[in-house]
Amino acid sequence: MTRKPQAFVLDGDKEEPRLKAARAHIAFDPEPENQDLVVVPQASLDAPPRRMRWGRLLLGSLVSLLALWAGYSIEQMVEQFFASSPVLGWTALAIAGIAGFAALAIVIREIWGIVRLNTIETLQDQAARAINLDEQDSARQVESGLTSIYAARADLAWPLKEFKDLSGDILDPRDRMMLADRLLMEPLDEAAHRIIARRARRVTLLTTVTPAAALDMLFVASQNFALLREIAALYGGRPSTLSTFRLARMVITHLAVTGGLALSDSLIQHLVGKGLLGRLSARFGEGAVNGILTSRIGLAAMDVCRPIPSRRPAREALGKLLREVVSFTPKEKADDARNPQSGNPAEP
Amino acid sequence: MNFTDFLDGTRLAAGGLRDFATGLVNPTIRLGVTGLSRSGKTVFITALVHALLTSARLPVFEAQARGRITRCYLEPQPDDDLPRFTYESHLAALTGDRRHWPEGTRRISQLRLTIEYEPHGLLARSLQSGKLHLDIVDYPGEWLLDLPLMDQSYTQWSAATVEASRKLPRLPHAAEWHAHLATLNAAAPADEQKALRASEVFTAYLARCRESDVALSTLPPGRFLMPGDLAGSPMLSFAPLDMKSGDEPASGSLAALMQRRYDAYVSKVVKPFFFGHFARLDRQVVLVDVLSALNAGSAAVADLRTALTGVMSSFRIGSNSIVSNVFGRRIDRVLFAATKADLLHHTSHDRLEAILRVLVAEAASKAEYSGAAQDVAALAAIRATREATVTRGKDELPCIVGIPEAGEKLGNVFDGETEAAIFPGDLPPDPAVALAGALEGQFRFVRFRPPLLKDASFPHIRLDRTMEFLIGDRFS
Repeated sequence: MTRKPQAFVLDGDKEEPRLKAARAHIAFDPEPENQDLVVVPQASLDAPPRRMRWGRLLLGSLVSLLALWAGYSIEQMVEQFFASSPVLGWTALAIAGIAGFAALAIVIREIWGIVRLNTIETLQDQAARAINLDEQDSARQVESGLTSIYAARADLAWPLKEFKDLSGDILDPRDRMMLADRLLMEPLDEAAHRIIARRARRVTLLTTVTPAAALDMLFVASQNFALLREIAALYGGRPSTLSTFRLARMVITHLAVTGGLALSDSLIQHLVGKGLLGRLSARFGEGAVNGILTSRIGLAAMDVCRPIPSRRPAREALGKLLREVVSFTPKEKADDARNPQSGNPAEP
Repeated sequence: MNFTDFLDGTRLAAGGLRDFATGLVNPTIRLGVTGLSRSGKTVFITALVHALLTSARLPVFEAQARGRITRCYLEPQPDDDLPRFTYESHLAALTGDRRHWPEGTRRISQLRLTIEYEPHGLLARSLQSGKLHLDIVDYPGEWLLDLPLMDQSYTQWSAATVEASRKLPRLPHAAEWHAHLATLNAAAPADEQKALRASEVFTAYLARCRESDVALSTLPPGRFLMPGDLAGSPMLSFAPLDMKSGDEPASGSLAALMQRRYDAYVSKVVKPFFFGHFARLDRQVVLVDVLSALNAGSAAVADLRTALTGVMSSFRIGSNSIVSNVFGRRIDRVLFAATKADLLHHTSHDRLEAILRVLVAEAASKAEYSGAAQDVAALAAIRATREATVTRGKDELPCIVGIPEAGEKLGNVFDGETEAAIFPGDLPPDPAVALAGALEGQFRFVRFRPPLLKDASFPHIRLDRTMEFLIGDRFS
């Protein structure tokens, strides 16, 4: 059905212009001031609304059927055990209880992971509002959100205390966000860069030494998923299976939206630079390309997971990161020594 | 382009070249603290220097907050012909037993602060000294009003001044001067005594305007009210005559004498002041006491706006090019600050900034057009109050709490010792309403005593943001 062109008349009230026709409602978008705006990474491309999600319904009903069958057969099994011997029956029941409890815990953790991902998305949105529109309320909400997310983090205890000390000050929303960025996000950014650099190097190495092409695809995929989880956890997410999948989808969308620019110059340049290496050793060339790809996925994951949208352009970040990848700085070794569980074996 | 313009241009270029040469060895920022009288220049400078010297808590000032500033100290006075800004005595006034705000400034003075910092990057660290000199000049705000005189002839100024005095709100203060003005004949032969008497009566008129509650801002020539070391000089013995702006005085007449002295005043007093201090600024903060003007009514606000626009048009504002870096830098960052923001609850600061934005719109549009960065902030270099919310019945009043100065009135008279919570009134959301003066009597701003030091530094509102905007980029 096509819509006819039409006009709405506004009443003369300057403070709050409203539509004269009572049946329609108008909401004015605030006009941002003319300056560099930060952009929230787009979570998902606007998909056209489907009328009815039959596929989802089918999948849902099949899964419930399966759960029903599993429950029923377990119940029957326990009954059979009881029929032969009560001891066997009680043991089976206890084991089934434990299994049920574990399943419940998993479900709760999944839900928690998704909720946390949503919280971070909301924070991003509010932080962007605070920065772009100078809104005091949003800045306050971001402040309390960050405080609650990072309250239990030992590595952020000191910056968080410093940040909380400033909450009583009279600060403009934009300045408050800038302070949160500097105090809380910057240490995390550095850690994220180290994580990405480590993973990218590992991917390069694995691709170079793996004998079969199918095997190295598997390696790269698993390394990238691990990278996503590590980065999400670093910025306060609770990576579980479902939320990691959703995160992966968001990262891919983000890459699709912003990826073009990074690909157009710096990546090509790096490809040409590594092309020389590629000619020396085909495997190593492939490894380098995979490493760069991993870095870009890591950066996109940072953008998606960071509660305060970053103001640094993606291209600049990639350049800086690639320098980090190829240089083994003492800083990185020091970090590995501090967190030996998080990756490479510690160097003394 | 006449000869004087050419001369001024040369003077600018020579000064600029000198600054460029010294700047190569010692990087210097000349910070212009601009503000009409009573706008808080002295307090701002003292607070700024104190905050840097004591490494106060300045979260938004990046260089300080990241710990990249290693040391700050006051340098011996660089110019031998200028008095030093008496930072120590101002600080003593603010922190002493009977702490009070510093007295109004009566003469020009200067201060040089050296900031040592760690430059970013390996190259910068090995090439740069990591030292930055910050030169700040303090002067009586009245003198600033002279700057527009540089572009006016005697007859133009004379006609404008007489015309303004015939309108409200100045008319009631001008009766005596108008009576005297009627006895003067511009074409009469020059007479020293007549000129002296005329300038006395005119000065008395200016002083009356200033003392009255109408906080009038445009009262040039500034040295009549604040003569500095020029008291009694013949350069100050002139006054406007009732003339049209295009009239050419006959030689030997009283008007010719007045014109000669006016020209001498402009070329010997105003221009040296301008070229010595204002033509070489790098950064500028314009302090505006919006609240006092609002307190005094629409005429005072209109006057303030005219004064600001006139003053700002004298400055060389704009982004710098290669040529201007060598031959006279331009001011590339201007911050307009509404001072005494601590007299309002912070929820009203946005409105205060909106009012200031409208007030300086004309002056700021020039800055924007020329490519200079500019911003507006509600500022309290020293914050004398705390904030509180008073609930009375169903009303919740956002209040400020402090010790009002002795003699201040709001309901009852304060003794200067007791603390009080004050609700100054609501600023309107629409700045145009405030500037139109429809709100006279709807708010009342009480003056507070200076606060006690907290952790050895003064509390402040947005002083750090001001510093970040004005000098922050020089550390990165």
